[in-house]
Amino acid sequence: MPKQSEALVLRTYPFHEADLLVTLFTRAEGKVRGVAKSAQKSRKRFGGALEPLTYVTAHWADKEKQELARFDSFEIISSPLAVEVNYPRLLALGYVAEVIDQLLPDREPSDSIFRLALSVVKHLQAGPIWMPLTYFDLWIVRLIGLLPDLSQCAVCGTALNSSRAYFHPLADGLLCANDKRLASSEISAESRMIAAGMFRAPVETFTSLHWPRQRGADLRRFLAQSIERHIEKKLVTASMLDRI
Amino acid sequence: MAKFAEPMARLIDELKKLPGVGSKSAQRMAFHILRSSADDADTLASAIQNLKEKLHLCSICNNITDIDPCTYCANVTRNQRLVCVVEEPTNIAAVEKTRHYNGVYHVLHGALSPLHGVGPEQLRIPSLLKRLENGSIDEIILATNPTLEGEATAVYLTDLIKRPGVKVTRIATGIPAGSDIEYADEVTMLKAIEGRREL
Repeated sequence: MPKQSEALVLRTYPFHEADLLVTLFTRAEGKVRGVAKSAQKSRKRFGGALEPLTYVTAHWADKEKQELARFDSFEIISSPLAVEVNYPRLLALGYVAEVIDQLLPDREPSDSIFRLALSVVKHLQAGPIWMPLTYFDLWIVRLIGLLPDLSQCAVCGTALNSSRAYFHPLADGLLCANDKRLASSEISAESRMIAAGMFRAPVETFTSLHWPRQRGADLRRFLAQSIERHIEKKLVTASMLDRI
Repeated sequence: MAKFAEPMARLIDELKKLPGVGSKSAQRMAFHILRSSADDADTLASAIQNLKEKLHLCSICNNITDIDPCTYCANVTRNQRLVCVVEEPTNIAAVEKTRHYNGVYHVLHGALSPLHGVGPEQLRIPSLLKRLENGSIDEIILATNPTLEGEATAVYLTDLIKRPGVKVTRIATGIPAGSDIEYADEVTMLKAIEGRREL
């Protein structure tokens, strides 16, 4: 039966001679993997719609007893190619696509994550990337259910308030000065304030703020570590973002 | 019990590694080679061996070549001050098909692709900068693909190579010749409108 949904293209891989294997994050069915026939050779049905993080209306069909869907056509709603794409923006879009692809299971819809992704992709079209990325990291970790309580020590339960707090790749949450482990990193009180603020307001609220790379960098590192711990592997794009 | 004798199974396994070749195709190819004459099989084997032994990258443009510098870089009738930057050696053939380009090339061997772990350090950018420093280039045409990755690579390169006396241009994108604008997608149409020219 033919299906249709709004979707974000996450990534594509060459498949057979001329096909592409496409991973889509659809609003209706969550992550859907399928084959776009002849998409490597012909641009007739898909045009520029197969670029990562393109917002499309996707048409596809599922076949019985087959894991992969058959994508028939995509109509572009908005494309990141509509504005100039520089390297930091490409990295940020790649990061969003990789995190969604790695964290979400197949065929489990999540309207809140879909709205988050749309909103963040829109804000990655212009201006610095670090604010939308911080917002995305915070909310995706929360929506997936991986976010620990940022206000207390994960070991002793002491309220952290404005006192020093630490995180470690092997710890479940933030740690107080007494419980921090060897090679822990500090997360500033300012970054914890940023997190609290971002949980209370939409991403638009923060667009007017000056947001250099250093702002919330410790928070992003903590959140990326939480994601990597959950997926049990390193995010390729996270280390590349660290190097720009 | 093994399905095929060991030499046949080994050849099938090797052929399966080729792009677009599955088990059935690999079996067909292997049996074709088995049925061929010994001379034909030797010719194929030596062609593969020669490919690996004799081909290398041009020391100037990074094109795949059996002589150094490559035929484009060594050709004195070509405009050596005009450089077309492409992602892959196969892109050169596409530009050459026009029969209107008389400059030389620079092959990056890829494009920036975070999802595949390809950053600037994996591309052949330093050799392009070296060519620029020699002061021997008047214009650089950025002919990377009009994809997200190709566009980001072009923007990244522009920031690196833009300097007085060097013109940096980007190939046009838009409606393919002979097609109908009715079927063009939004992005293609947008690029075509943005890149319109005065008549």
